Order: sequence, then structure tokens, then C-alpha cells
Amino acid sequence: MSGSPDLSVQIGGLRLKNPVMPASGTFGYGEEYADFLDLNRLGAVIVKTITLKPRTGSYPHRSTEVASGFLASIGLQNVGVEHFIKEKLPYFAGMDVPLIVNIGGQSLEEYVELASIMNTQPRVDALELNISCPNVSKGGIHFGTDPGVTRELVTQVRGVTEKTVIVKLTPMVSDIRLFAEICQEAGADGLSLINAPLGMSVDVKTRRSKLGRNMKGGLTGPAIKPLALYLVHQVSKSVDIPVIGIGGISSLEDALEFFIVGASAVQVGTWNFINPRITTDIIEGLQEYLIENKMRVFRELVGTLL
Amino acid sequence: MENKNISPGFYRMALDISANSRLPVPGQFYNVRCGETKDPLLRRPFSMHRLTKEKGSVRLEILYRVVGKGTEWLSGRKKGETLDTIGPLGNGFLMRGGSQDVVLVARGIGIAPLYALGDALRIENPKVHIHILMGARYAQRVFYKEELKKLGEVYLYTDDGSIGYHGRAPQLLLHLLETNRLPRGLDLYACGPIPMMKELAQIAERFSCSGQVALETHMGCGFGACLSCAIPLKPEALKTCAAWQKPALQWSEDGSTVYSLICKDGPIYDILEVHWDEWLA
Repeated sequence: MSGSPDLSVQIGGLRLKNPVMPASGTFGYGEEYADFLDLNRLGAVIVKTITLKPRTGSYPHRSTEVASGFLASIGLQNVGVEHFIKEKLPYFAGMDVPLIVNIGGQSLEEYVELASIMNTQPRVDALELNISCPNVSKGGIHFGTDPGVTRELVTQVRGVTEKTVIVKLTPMVSDIRLFAEICQEAGADGLSLINAPLGMSVDVKTRRSKLGRNMKGGLTGPAIKPLALYLVHQVSKSVDIPVIGIGGISSLEDALEFFIVGASAVQVGTWNFINPRITTDIIEGLQEYLIENKMRVFRELVGTLL
Repeated sequence: MENKNISPGFYRMALDISANSRLPVPGQFYNVRCGETKDPLLRRPFSMHRLTKEKGSVRLEILYRVVGKGTEWLSGRKKGETLDTIGPLGNGFLMRGGSQDVVLVARGIGIAPLYALGDALRIENPKVHIHILMGARYAQRVFYKEELKKLGEVYLYTDDGSIGYHGRAPQLLLHLLETNRLPRGLDLYACGPIPMMKELAQIAERFSCSGQVALETHMGCGFGACLSCAIPLKPEALKTCAAWQKPALQWSEDGSTVYSLICKDGPIYDILEVHWDEWLA
């Protein structure tokens, strides 16, 4: 048989025509990239984290560059779920690209409420849970660093939606496999990792954080790729549900590394800022790579690390 | 492309943008890849400095000072090379037709976008009086004097008094207004450090000057996706119009706070709408 290789992947009930998508928080609400590429070509679009209420986000001086990395504290600035559904979601009405909405909350109840609201939206194909948010009732400890809270959160969200649920894991834990297994047991359809590890950078002249009052920020970009790759490898060996690799991908070769260690799909983040067409570049490159390596189905490549 | 060292540490680069479908207006910027590796990582924003059209070719000039790895790399580019740019981005200055007296207040490289504006104002009204306040910490950093003289009347200043007025731009402007060497109610345009522009805002208010500022901060993308260039505006002084639609405003639920993205809503703002104190806090 001739023709292009089959790039499709299945995550729960969601079928993606290819395994490449942008990472939440780096792709706005999707429309910001319309000048650069045809969104319909992507495996899926993932919008930035949506919360119950609108958020203005972190104080100014939100970002700085570090060696091969981007350190930023955005503070989940977003329009809130009501505005999102009214003003942002209709943008996707005429498109057939799967839409994954990333949600975040300050309490378990907020996640459940958001998931219930999204469940009523036919255009939303899947949810990605950002569990790296501070849990207000537990003194701000991030949901995703507490195994008990993670289990409860995923179980409850699972209970209110039939849509595909992907949990985005934080690397700021001692053993990420434990969290991956908990999410699988609690009914997650897939896992995406890594969310940005936290970092700092200091101006030695002023002795202030380069992120000002925010002090710390999420570290993204090529600097975190080896960490991400290792954790994706660890997690994909310990669970059966699909794993989506995220962290510092800037080229086809980077994406291939993630596939080889076990990722069924990838999300490209910070590199979208440098090359807004990187996602479609990788899709094209992947097709050629599979043809050159005589693979007719992309899935043959996943987890082939020797 | 051509790259010219115009003063120690300062460069002017000309890019042939004839093939681009959109041309920039004064105040807009280009986000430029400054390297071929992953360090430096992000693109760097440069405002339109001059636009020249000759025999069917369009040249965009940017002005920059070497301050880090990105601009160091840029300064090494040679004639004939190509650059990876995204632009024009942002809103641009509002041109109020018929301005009689205009003051451009720059510190250092801040002159780059103001020059573009001055050029455009001159074309719009050949009789316009353009006053230019240009300075820096010390004399060697004050560049472009001869070029600026072609645009209007130049007032130099330095923090250490090594050339021109001994003091900072806001003090010089205040001095010129108080001694009636500049008329009240003139149009003010500024680009420089945040504390300078904050002081200029107070002067603009006191002397009934309308004012616009060109702002800069660290940017991730330049096109409104990463939300890292947010700054606070004053809800009560917000300025919107056809050319300044501010599509990226984010309001708090109670309407008391509003953040704006410099890359998308700006980089040009009304001097009175920026919440300087909150930005500097």
C-alpha cells in the first residue's frame, strides 16, 4: 500500500489525526496563531488554562530569559469560563480540529464545576486538568503534589464528564510514577507531562528577583527537555494510558526522542514563540521520517527505545 | 541587509522589506530572531526607526545598542545576509493631524521609534516645530546628534552634565516649559526608562500636554499568545479608538484592575493611561 503514513492516535474517546499539538499556555485561545498556520492541521488545539472567574494574572515583570529557557509567571491570566464560552469558543465553530480545554481551579469544587460546564459544550472534545494550581483550602499546596488530593480530584472530575480527561502532571514531586498510577486508577484517559518546573533568576545589581514581586516562575524551553524526556520515559513504563510528552521541544528530532521513549503524542510549548509554525513543521517532518524509515503507522515508533 | 556602526555600541540596520505585504507605521515593531542556536532563545523586539522607499524597494531601518547576547549577534551580521523577523506588530502612534509644536523626549536608544514618528509628522505638516530632548548618562552615550538636527531642534542632556543640560529629561522639559521656551499644550511623545516616563506623565498633566509613550518590556512571543508583557493601565483613563482597539485587555471581575499586553494593545499608549506606580511597584 502506498500513500501517507497513518499518524493518528487515540486518547480515550478522542481520535487525533496526528500526534502534534501546542501546549496550553503557549497558544493563547488558538486564534492568536491563525495568521501563521491552519489550525485544522494540528492534532488538537489546547487553549490556555481556563478558570471559573476571569483572572488578571501575575504582576508585571512576568518573564525573563535564562540559558536556553524562558522563566515566566503569568498567574493563569484568562478571561474566565463564561467569557470563554461566549467569545472564544465560537471561533472554533467551523473547524474540525479537536479542541482540548485546559482547566484550573483553586478548590476541588471549582474543577468539578468547570468540568461540568465544559461537559455541556459540544465543541469541547477533551479536558486537560492543570493540577499545578495552589489548593487554597490546603494552604496553597499544589493539588498535583499531594497523592490523596490528586486521586480525589481526578475521580470527581471523571464523575461529571464523559469527555476525554487528560491530567497534566507537575515534575515537582519525588516520584512522578506514583501520581501517574493514581490518575490512571482514578479514570484519566491520558497523561501529559511535564508541566513547567519552578525556577528563579536574580538581578545581582538590584538583588531582586528578575520576576519582581512574583519571585518565581515556570521554567520552559529547551533547558527542561532532558528532565521532561526522562520523566516521560518513567511514566510511560508505569501506566497503560497514553502519555503526551511536553518539555522543550523545538524540532522534529526533539519530538522523535519523546515518541521513542514512549510518548504517544507531544505538545510543543515555548518554541511556538520563536517559530509559530513549529507544530506544522514537525507534522510534515514526522511524515517524511516515517516514510524514510518504512513505517506505515506512527504508533509503531512509540516506545521503541532499545 | 546592511549593518552600520553609528557610534560606539550603537548600530543601525537596514532591511529590504519590499517583499512584505504589510508596511509598518511609526511605533510598530518587529520581533527578530537574534541567533541560530537556543541561547539566546527568544526573539528580540525592535521598533521601526525609519522607512525609506526608493525605486520600488522598501527599506526598514532599526536602531539598536549592543546590550547582550542577542544584540551582540545582530551587530555581527553582514551585508546581504537575511534576518528572520515577524512584523509589523503592535498598534503605532496616533497621528493627530495639524500639530504645531511637538516634543520628542528620548533617553538613549529610546530615540528609535520617536525618529520614525518625527519623520511622519514632518511629512504630514512641513511647518511643524519638532523639539527633541535627547540624552543619556554621560556624553559618550549620547549618539545621533547630527541625524536629529535634520529632524528638528535638539536639546541634549546628560546625568553628569558632560554634555548639554546637567540633569534628566523630565527636569529639562520642566525647565523649558517653565521658561516658556516650549509652549504649553504641545504634543509630547516619549520613549525611555519607566521612571522617566512616569515623571513626564506628571509634567504632561500639569502643562496640559497630550502625550504618548512607546513602551518596552520582556516579551515571549510578540503576538499576544504568551501574556508575559502585561502592564497595568488605569481603568478610568483608558484610551481606545479605531487604531487603538486594545484587543488584549484583561479586566478583573470587579473592574478595578485592567492589564494590557504591550505587544498587542501597545507598544504605544497614552501617557496618562499607564498605571506607572503599579508597574514600578
